Amino acid sequence: MLLMFEDHHKEHLSFLTDTDIDVVKEFCRISMDFIRKGANPKVYLGAAQKLKVEPETVQHGVEGLMYLLTESSKLMLNEIDFQDSILTLGFSEEMRQTLLQLYLQNRKEIRTILSEMSMDLPHYHNLEWRFDVQLGSRSLRRQTTPTVLFKLHTEESGLRETTVLQTDPVNLVHMTKVLDEALQEIKSSYCRRILRNIK
Amino acid sequence: MELCQSVLDGVALAGEATHIPDVCFQHFITKTIEGVLDKSSRNTIKDDKVFNKLDKSILKEAYSGVLSLLLEAAKFDAETATLSAILEECKFTQDRIDILLQLYQEKKLFIQILLGNIGTSPPHIVDVDWRLDYYIKSNQLEKVNEPVYLISLKTEVPGKTDLEEVQFSCSLEQLQFLLAGDLEQCLLTSFESIGA
Repeated sequence: MLLMFEDHHKEHLSFLTDTDIDVVKEFCRISMDFIRKGANPKVYLGAAQKLKVEPETVQHGVEGLMYLLTESSKLMLNEIDFQDSILTLGFSEEMRQTLLQLYLQNRKEIRTILSEMSMDLPHYHNLEWRFDVQLGSRSLRRQTTPTVLFKLHTEESGLRETTVLQTDPVNLVHMTKVLDEALQEIKSSYCRRILRNIK
Repeated sequence: MELCQSVLDGVALAGEATHIPDVCFQHFITKTIEGVLDKSSRNTIKDDKVFNKLDKSILKEAYSGVLSLLLEAAKFDAETATLSAILEECKFTQDRIDILLQLYQEKKLFIQILLGNIGTSPPHIVDVDWRLDYYIKSNQLEKVNEPVYLISLKTEVPGKTDLEEVQFSCSLEQLQFLLAGDLEQCLLTSFESIGA
């Protein structure tokens, strides 16, 4: 799979093809910083003064690199596809190698950032449990009712939530059995065949 | 187990043959217990043809007295000796004591189950549903290719008739951890503790 660039992206990145390799490296560093923490326009002004160009040109250059890195990571391009994709942008061999290294070094981190931005469902975070025996209540004394208390911690988009639940040993056995079936299902030949074929 | 005077007065009324004749005493106790256990027969004693000729206000007082006695006895899991001592004090004949104790013993466990259900508790898990998905891609990320489990815990909440749900998703590793780490440990502890 190759990454397709639109004309204005090529134009934005073309500024970098005429600069020094050190400038490209610095731009790469800034791009990664911005992907991690969000853009900081002050950096554009400083860099523009140093390079004696318009701040907008710098901004386009950085944004072009950010787009290149995030799109390639999103598509999980392999080494060869990444190199072939940037071939059309007019970078020198040395610069292409620098970009490739940058991409390979940061792909995992960018994918983590992207996965955090993806749609999130309340998901399991932790489960605490406690075993109690209920001995009495207002309406019934002299009981020995075994109960299991759970505190389920779930997380959705960074927000933690806790739910207190309880169950009894019989239902706990049932629950464990059903969830174990769920776990076995993924090992079934049907699931393994599907998983193997989706690449 | 302590009963207040008004309850004892009610019980005493039920013991008197002039108020509740011997022929309908057993039916009277049966109806009282039914009134506790079966929602639809609650208070139907007032329209019962067997008690047609009885004074309605006395029937009501006797009913509420015996009802309170039986519920308190079940609540404290009272011994038959305790119960029969109270009944003797209320001037019950031995025949009537035997009838009441026998009917009480038969239904005690059911009354206690009912009493045990009263009160608050966290949502009680009674079932679990699961769904296995393979997360392929999203608008932000492609080639994710990870299995995702959607788990729905069905819970009973005191005072509500419908089951409620607690839903969450988890990865394969998390489910393995949940099962092997938490639930099975918890199971072992439970069964060790109750000696099963």
